[in-house]
Amino acid sequence: MTAYDPCAHCEEVMQPFMDRVLTDAERQEAESHLDECTYCRKRYRFEENLRVFVREAGAAERMPVELKQKLAALRTPLQ
Amino acid sequence: MRFEEEALALSDQVYRVARHLVGSREEAEDLMQETYARAFRSWRSFQPGTNLRAWLLRILTNLNIDRGRRQQRTPDMQPLEEGDYFLYNKLEASGDGDSDEDHVVERLSQNDVVSALSEVPHDFRDVVVLVDIGDFTYADAAQILDIPIGTVMSRLHRGRRILKKGMADQAVGGEVA
Repeated sequence: MTAYDPCAHCEEVMQPFMDRVLTDAERQEAESHLDECTYCRKRYRFEENLRVFVREAGAAERMPVELKQKLAALRTPLQ
Repeated sequence: MRFEEEALALSDQVYRVARHLVGSREEAEDLMQETYARAFRSWRSFQPGTNLRAWLLRILTNLNIDRGRRQQRTPDMQPLEEGDYFLYNKLEASGDGDSDEDHVVERLSQNDVVSALSEVPHDFRDVVVLVDIGDFTYADAAQILDIPIGTVMSRLHRGRRILKKGMADQAVGGEVA
């Protein structure tokens, strides 16, 4: 049997924590660990930054203007 | 506003998602045109007051599947995935000692993200793109992809880990001395 590792547990619940789908009790447990653990706190903070970065990277390539014009040309006459 | 104008006003946001669901810009452009052509033909089946952006993406993902672009199913060999701290640990170890969590992310380039994302197997990537880039809720993603919400959550969880592993490889592992 392996000993309970609070940091490993905190890593496991990182995504549901950020997505706000943990139960209140689970969330409180994670928060109290984060309060006292710099190691995990850094990694959570990084994850927040990363999510913003991924979103921006995904939005970086804009839709070509010509495509927008082609889409507009697909409109049907008023019916 | 007419239905068509509303749909066109959303086209930038739809394209942002489409661009990462398929492999190339050309495919994304073809798919956008097919999607809008079909949407304009079948506007009567849209229920006013519901999420038009999700409706358009439902059409788009169905067309994408119909066209066989998504034939490759998730391979039996499951992609390598690491824990959620893996990427940070890698980036931190690769740096010059500045492990400030607000700066470590700057060791990634947008290109690292885009190219790692394109390597994530489709089933996982679809969900990551819809939720993390398209900003759809779990429920919207479930409806768009026609899968249960629990499947959205588990694919998202694994997909993000696969993506982070890929970004670590791009940013650190891929470096040639």
